[in-house]
Amino acid sequence: MKLSRMAWRNVWRNSRRSWVTICAMSIGLLVMIEYAGLVRGYLQQMERQILEVEIGDVQIHAKGYRDDPSLFIRMSDSDAVVTALEAAGFKVSPRLLGAGLAAAADNSSGAMLLGLDPKRDAAVSKVSQMVAKGQWLDATKPGEAVIGRWLARTLELTVGGEIVVLSQAADGSTANEVYKIRGILGSVGHGIDRGGVFLTSDAFRELMSLPKGAHRIIVRIPTDMSLSQAELALKPLAAGHEVKTWKALLPVLAQMFEATQGAMTIMFLIIFVAVGIVLLNTMLMAVFERVQEIGILKALGFSPFSVLRLIFIESGIQTAISVAIGVLLSIPATWYMTEHGLEMGPEGGISLQGVALARVWYAAPSVDTLLLPIFVLLFVIFFAVLYPAVKAAVIRPVEAIRHR
Amino acid sequence: MSTATASGPIVALKNVTKTYQQGAIEVHALRGLDLVIEPGEFTAISGPSGSGKSTALNLIGGLDTPTGGSVQVEGHDLGALGRKALSDLRRDRIGFVFQAYNLVPVLTAAENAEMVLALQGVDDKTRRAKVTALLDQVGLQGLADRRPDELSGGQQQRVAIARAIAAQPAIVLADEPTANVDSATAEMLLDLMERLNQDLGVTFLFSTHDPRVMARAKRLINLVDGKVDSDERRDG
Repeated sequence: MKLSRMAWRNVWRNSRRSWVTICAMSIGLLVMIEYAGLVRGYLQQMERQILEVEIGDVQIHAKGYRDDPSLFIRMSDSDAVVTALEAAGFKVSPRLLGAGLAAAADNSSGAMLLGLDPKRDAAVSKVSQMVAKGQWLDATKPGEAVIGRWLARTLELTVGGEIVVLSQAADGSTANEVYKIRGILGSVGHGIDRGGVFLTSDAFRELMSLPKGAHRIIVRIPTDMSLSQAELALKPLAAGHEVKTWKALLPVLAQMFEATQGAMTIMFLIIFVAVGIVLLNTMLMAVFERVQEIGILKALGFSPFSVLRLIFIESGIQTAISVAIGVLLSIPATWYMTEHGLEMGPEGGISLQGVALARVWYAAPSVDTLLLPIFVLLFVIFFAVLYPAVKAAVIRPVEAIRHR
Repeated sequence: MSTATASGPIVALKNVTKTYQQGAIEVHALRGLDLVIEPGEFTAISGPSGSGKSTALNLIGGLDTPTGGSVQVEGHDLGALGRKALSDLRRDRIGFVFQAYNLVPVLTAAENAEMVLALQGVDDKTRRAKVTALLDQVGLQGLADRRPDELSGGQQQRVAIARAIAAQPAIVLADEPTANVDSATAEMLLDLMERLNQDLGVTFLFSTHDPRVMARAKRLINLVDGKVDSDERRDG
């Protein structure tokens, strides 16, 4: 009679209780696999939004620009800074920023004007890949603009339509130009969606009478470099300007980023401690209702270690079934969460510090998001079973046999 | 594993005392018990309730530890053995038959009977052959695959006897083995154990109230207040 066969039969002698335990463990595991995938997906979405779309790893501004974002406060030596940064291995894109009014036919709306080098910017930002209709800017076509999706809706514009941009130029004159709509962006972020008007650098300089300089330099750092290392390396290269990491630019978001990861750990603990308590209860009941039987086994020659093994094999069987069910159920659930996501906010989304937070969380499953919940479950189960198993192993046969 | 050692007693109790604490009261279950059981004996320990019969069996079986004195089984002082060594001794040299049969409910009759052999690491084929023969011997032909809840009390006790002798222990300790069965079954079980004693030389030590067991015993030890009151041999 193999110990494993005996353990298998013991598991099913109270099948209802075993199934309740298995269900609790399976559902706990399923929830954690999904949660880990969703949190990973959310963090990836946030990171992509922050680093690849809106902010970059580091931004360089002329001193005072962030407190007073004026057309006149700019880095006049931006070309030299960009050259130095690129020589040091950073990917950079200088941007020109301004505000104005956009109009088409009878409609008008406030506009955020961005001038950039389309090719260079594509190396630091994914905005160029987020064109929903039409195409991204072409440096050789300064008479064309790419605009945000809500601005397009407000102005009732489609690709090929015309937009009039009005502003005050740097020389005090009225800036006034008509651009052909080359592309309309998909969802990027609140600011860009509502008022973003992307122009080539040349078009922006022409419109705003700005022969040189830039308001912002967006920097992406090499993957093997930490943010703090990059900040230290960048400061002397952009001497006289303000160098800020995205965490310094968006401190609330940076904290939220870390808090989300902490919340996941806490959630893991809460769910698995609950599962652990269910299992502890089950195994305690399974042991205490068979104290006499365990005494007999010991009388017949079962060593304490054999009893320990028996109890662990019993919980191992339940755990294996639970993991199999949990993982099987997680396949369609993960597919759904990856494809359709989970709505976590109101229609229109939430913006924090100007960065659009994902309204729909999509799962980003990985080996880690599958294995981590399993390992944590195994860890919790081991400790939940240890007490009843040791209790059964060390019980004195004479006391166990007399037990009623 | 041999049925008994070639020489020397199987069991030797020297001045054994056992005191239990029941709340504030000390219960003296055994008060200096001296007892020697030789190979091949068919001995019953009798006595009124509380005389120490079951306590003596528990001590001999290594299920409990004495307060004083020494308990030796085949020359091994049980007090000097660790948990593992004690488990091995019970597995290899001592068979148990309990009043309430105490079969493992999830195992079949054959699996219950072969449990000790399995613990000894005997291979499946040898084990199964041995147990099939044993179940035939105890009159359970054709019932090998039944679970305990599909067997009568008498049949369950036969399985328990088969389990107890399967590994050819030095001694079988039977605690009130006929207490839970009717008269006919009790006689049948006694016939069986007597036959095993006579034919195979299995040593039996009973604790009992049952006059039928006492009548069949070749040696009857009467305990009173934790001491031997009388020790009657009926050899021949």
